[in-house]
Amino acid sequence: MKRVGLAVLLVLGMLALAEGRLKAGWIYVGPIGDYGWTHAHDVGRRAAAKAFPWLQTLYVESVPEGQVGSYIDQMVRQGVKVIFATSFGYMDGVLEAAKRYPNVIFAHASGFKRAPNVATYMADFYQVYYLNGLMAGALTKTGKVGYVGAFPIPEVKRHINAFALGVRAVNPKAKVLVRWIYEWYSPAAAKEATEALIAEGADVFAFTEDSPTVVQVAAGHKLPSFAHYSPMLKFAPDYVVSGQLVDWGVIYKDFLAKVYAGLYTPKNLEDVDYWWLLPQKAVALGADRGVPVNPKFIPALRAKKIHHPVFGEISVYDLVMKLKAMMSDVELAFDPFQGPIKDRKGNLRVPAGVRPTQAELESLEWAVQGVEGPWPNEPK
Amino acid sequence: MAESWWVSTLARGLAFSAPLLLAALGELVAERSGVINLGVEGMMILGALAGFAAADASGDPWLGVLAAAAAGTLAALVHAFFSITLRANTYVSGLALTMVGLGLSGLLGKPFAGRPLAHPLPKLDIPGLSAIPWLGPGLFRGQSALLYLGLLAALLLWYFLYRTRGGITLRSVGENPAAADALGVNVYRVRYLATAFGGAMAGVAGAYLSVDYRPSWTEGMTAGMGWIALAIVIFAAWDPLRAVLAAFLFGAFYHLAYRFQAYLAPEFLKMTPYLFTVLFLVLSALGKSVRLGAPEALGRPYLRGERE
Repeated sequence: MKRVGLAVLLVLGMLALAEGRLKAGWIYVGPIGDYGWTHAHDVGRRAAAKAFPWLQTLYVESVPEGQVGSYIDQMVRQGVKVIFATSFGYMDGVLEAAKRYPNVIFAHASGFKRAPNVATYMADFYQVYYLNGLMAGALTKTGKVGYVGAFPIPEVKRHINAFALGVRAVNPKAKVLVRWIYEWYSPAAAKEATEALIAEGADVFAFTEDSPTVVQVAAGHKLPSFAHYSPMLKFAPDYVVSGQLVDWGVIYKDFLAKVYAGLYTPKNLEDVDYWWLLPQKAVALGADRGVPVNPKFIPALRAKKIHHPVFGEISVYDLVMKLKAMMSDVELAFDPFQGPIKDRKGNLRVPAGVRPTQAELESLEWAVQGVEGPWPNEPK
Repeated sequence: MAESWWVSTLARGLAFSAPLLLAALGELVAERSGVINLGVEGMMILGALAGFAAADASGDPWLGVLAAAAAGTLAALVHAFFSITLRANTYVSGLALTMVGLGLSGLLGKPFAGRPLAHPLPKLDIPGLSAIPWLGPGLFRGQSALLYLGLLAALLLWYFLYRTRGGITLRSVGENPAAADALGVNVYRVRYLATAFGGAMAGVAGAYLSVDYRPSWTEGMTAGMGWIALAIVIFAAWDPLRAVLAAFLFGAFYHLAYRFQAYLAPEFLKMTPYLFTVLFLVLSALGKSVRLGAPEALGRPYLRGERE
């Protein structure tokens, strides 16, 4: 009898403990082993789980975008109070579910629609792409830089534009050749697109795709490339120059801490939009963590000198480091999209001295000069 | 200019066709014995994982290829047991194999995700031959040994099917198992062997992806290639040499989809091989000029003594 009483007490105690914990759930569009987008979100989830003892996390992977609603239902039934939906395509499904569950907090990555209980968040790379572009411009010998893009949507277009602006700042005659693969994750498509770009004469590569394929293919031809999303230096130690790295963990930790502290409630998220860049350390420049530029390429980047309107005669390496420092400061003394910028059809898109707003950057459809290749939905 | 276009199309078309060809040749043999195996995709991905795991652990990519063949064979034997011995619905059994293969490899492959392979299969350069204008650089420079294995297998299989006694036996089991049985052929044994061969080839096709083409492991990395291999078997009208051509067409169009992207919708080029397949099927159904060549007893389980 005593034993049963003890067991009941124990169970009650555990329930009480569980009661005090915040349950957060993540919905992933791909497998966590994709080594790209979903993998990075899961690294962020684990960082948050490790940081906060009061946090209990769970996740579902490979959730098709149209079916997000039923997965949310399931999570809510399991007692989840905060749901992170990590794909752009979940947007409308999340907003519908948010109406069904007004007491659950939702956060949607890379979207732009909010509600009292739906916040949005994004760790954006455009600054880092510009820095990588500077280096690519210095390293290309053929004057053709290859870019393998996932989908022609504003986010990817913004990144290609920032990259191309960097390339042309160093190498005004260089071109950025773009090929689309119409997949977020497709190693075979990324490989063949890279091979096609090599056949066209491109000799430096950057990309948006969730695997290290482009890096591996370029290295196979002894050509340099820039990593995307995860540290990829180990896949081609002699050929990865740098790249863009993400840390979703800083956003997840900030958001969950504010939920736990009662600052974020299911009633006040209408204006909560994380647009975190270099200053917030949500993104970083690097071939690997702590390796902003592969040391093997530093001599070549130092040797390439250009005339910069602000800094005068300067090596590309020093320029990258200076601009990186400026863009890592909350004052943002430099922005890649500061006007004047013309699109490739000759229209003035950003007037001199003006910087596009976040909303403008998030809906950008035009291509800057120097970008070559198909560009669906290009405005006239 | 024309030569560089041709060379890159030949080189990339062949490189992309290798896994399709290997898997298609295996399925072709299985189907010639009368067994349809829709589990190609599942066997391929299990082969890819087993191949990567073995190559990673041993440091020898060829051990990876062997392990992949073994994994594919094991998976195929499951299908053989259900569809030949138990005479369960062969389509359901194959589909189940694909789903189980994708799921199981995803689960078991977690520790391998995102790891580079230290020793992938080497790319071959054949001196002398690679200097042949037009053909040399595409065929003999930087290609995988597994591509040559596939091409050699196609030749040998063609000889086996049409020029040897064993080939006649295999084909007769696929055309009319009762008659073959009456002549003293062990129908079950032939079908088991053919299905197992199909699994081994699909496994090697998977290994091509994980220890050569990529080389690394990622969940779902076969990305539908198993289904294309099935289409190639039909497009090739169950002929190993035509399978080489069909696989190359798929590979070449896949490459050209990116070369022509600036001028043509990529969807159109990617669709083209399938369009050919459908067109070919329609043509062969309409006229008698093209012989479709599907084995008569394809997909029908055999029960000894049962009359049709």
